[in-house]
Amino acid sequence: MDLRSILAPRLVAHAHCDIPCGIYDPTAATIAAQTVAKMVEKITGSTGGDDASRNTYIRSVAVKEEHAQICKKELLILWTDYFKPEHLEKYPKLHDTFWTAAKLCSKNKQSIDAKAAADLQAAVKEIADIFWATKK
Amino acid sequence: MRPATALFRVAVAGQSMEPTFRDGDWLLVRRLRRPPRPGEVVVAADPREPERLLVKRVRSVAPDGVTIQGDHADPAESTDSRQFGPIPGSAVVGRPVFRYAPIGRFGLVR
Repeated sequence: MDLRSILAPRLVAHAHCDIPCGIYDPTAATIAAQTVAKMVEKITGSTGGDDASRNTYIRSVAVKEEHAQICKKELLILWTDYFKPEHLEKYPKLHDTFWTAAKLCSKNKQSIDAKAAADLQAAVKEIADIFWATKK
Repeated sequence: MRPATALFRVAVAGQSMEPTFRDGDWLLVRRLRRPPRPGEVVVAADPREPERLLVKRVRSVAPDGVTIQGDHADPAESTDSRQFGPIPGSAVVGRPVFRYAPIGRFGLVR
């Protein structure tokens, strides 16, 4: 038996954060918000009344709905799991920003509104900027 | 996890106690029979998984339990009482007193 194995502890004391921090990432919410905006664009640009056009229209609405929900889910993960009271002290608008962004996800489900889609993208960007600032 | 001896060794895993401890540091831990004191580093059973040991610093000691926190400047680098709340005093197992490896980091624990 070498010296190293004699000296090596048998026990481990954990000094972790439980979840590797790379798992938290605002990119998923950003892409979802972009998808919502793109779908709004497709829906409002759609004119044809034939089956193919109607199919595209309906699919675009379905994708908008789905990605608004993905966006909301991803935001909630960041809000409830990643951000901590220390972050809130430094960014007092954090709760308001998340509240606004989550509400905009719902608004984008309820309506076909380019402004609401742009507002959602802006709100998600604001959150992403705060997120990356906390990583510096 | 309850080591049977008055002194035992642990290997640190993770970054939450930087700069005090780094991942891979080997520590000599003294079993603690008195209540922990604010400011000292302790080894304690994870309240969510008692067989798992944590190493953190005591922030406060109150009737409702002991608040422990990692030393790392970025709160995202540590899971501690900020997530799982105070731990019972009985969960505290010992106090690291000496870091015996790596050689360059040999020294008393503060």
